[in-house]
Amino acid sequence: MNLAFANPGRFLAFIRYAIPWLAACGALIAALGFYAAFAYAPADYQQGETVRIMYIHVPSAWLSTACYGIMALSSIGTLVWRHPLADVSAKAIAPIGAAFTFLCLLTGSLWGKPMWGTWWVWDARLTSVLVLFLIYCGILALWNAYEDPARAGRAAAVMTLVGAINLPIVKFSVDWWNTLHQPASVFRMGGPTIDPSMLWPLLLVAIGITLLMVALHFAAMRNEILRRRVRTLGMLAATHEMKGIVE
Amino acid sequence: MMDDPHFGFIVAAYLAAFIVFVGLLLWIIFDYKAQKQLLAALEASGTRRRSEGDKR
Repeated sequence: MNLAFANPGRFLAFIRYAIPWLAACGALIAALGFYAAFAYAPADYQQGETVRIMYIHVPSAWLSTACYGIMALSSIGTLVWRHPLADVSAKAIAPIGAAFTFLCLLTGSLWGKPMWGTWWVWDARLTSVLVLFLIYCGILALWNAYEDPARAGRAAAVMTLVGAINLPIVKFSVDWWNTLHQPASVFRMGGPTIDPSMLWPLLLVAIGITLLMVALHFAAMRNEILRRRVRTLGMLAATHEMKGIVE
Repeated sequence: MMDDPHFGFIVAAYLAAFIVFVGLLLWIIFDYKAQKQLLAALEASGTRRRSEGDKR
């Protein structure tokens, strides 16, 4: 099945139907999640209503690393198998991952000010997420530094795989170092510590936004395939013009 | 919730999320339209990929 979608034409035909379904399901599930987060989930006994920021901050944080994971897997596809869609996927997910990382930092800061009394501290979790954002920015710059997308893809793939070392640092920073940021409360050994009345809305929002992220990724991949077709046709047109001048 | 002393922080967080998400969406939609236009212009000039048979 994977090989069938390795052909960009077949992939475009598949995502033509997949994108509207993913977007509709994602929007519906996220809307249900946000409704539950505001209508049913209680205020926190210590944080009060400010805990509502969690329902956007935590999914953004999860997706910031998930997008990087997709980019790293795609980069392996580029370097090892030269899969035709691998670097298209890596390039398409980079701005989406950067956007979610930015959102994670921004909403975290807006949550931190009223709860911690500061917008920012240089603790391990916050700093490693900032480094993740800077790596995304570097990869985006690298994609734009090369004229040839194949060369840019290989360079970006190497940088992505080197930067992937930051992912376990982001995840385990709260365990390895003494941080102001709280330790993991959902994905942890021994199960979630968060109350189910808050956990279910959070999971619904996370699933909904993940489906929306996949829809955006597919749409951005479609744009990148079209961009490469435009580039190929532009080069062909220029070759024909050159031949016409010589003849 | 509106009488919470930190209500402004909650609104700012959701507003930021909305702006970032809509920004991503609009960027992808406009990029798609731009690429389709460029592709249509090149195809209208008769340029085709070798796999589709070049008309020139």
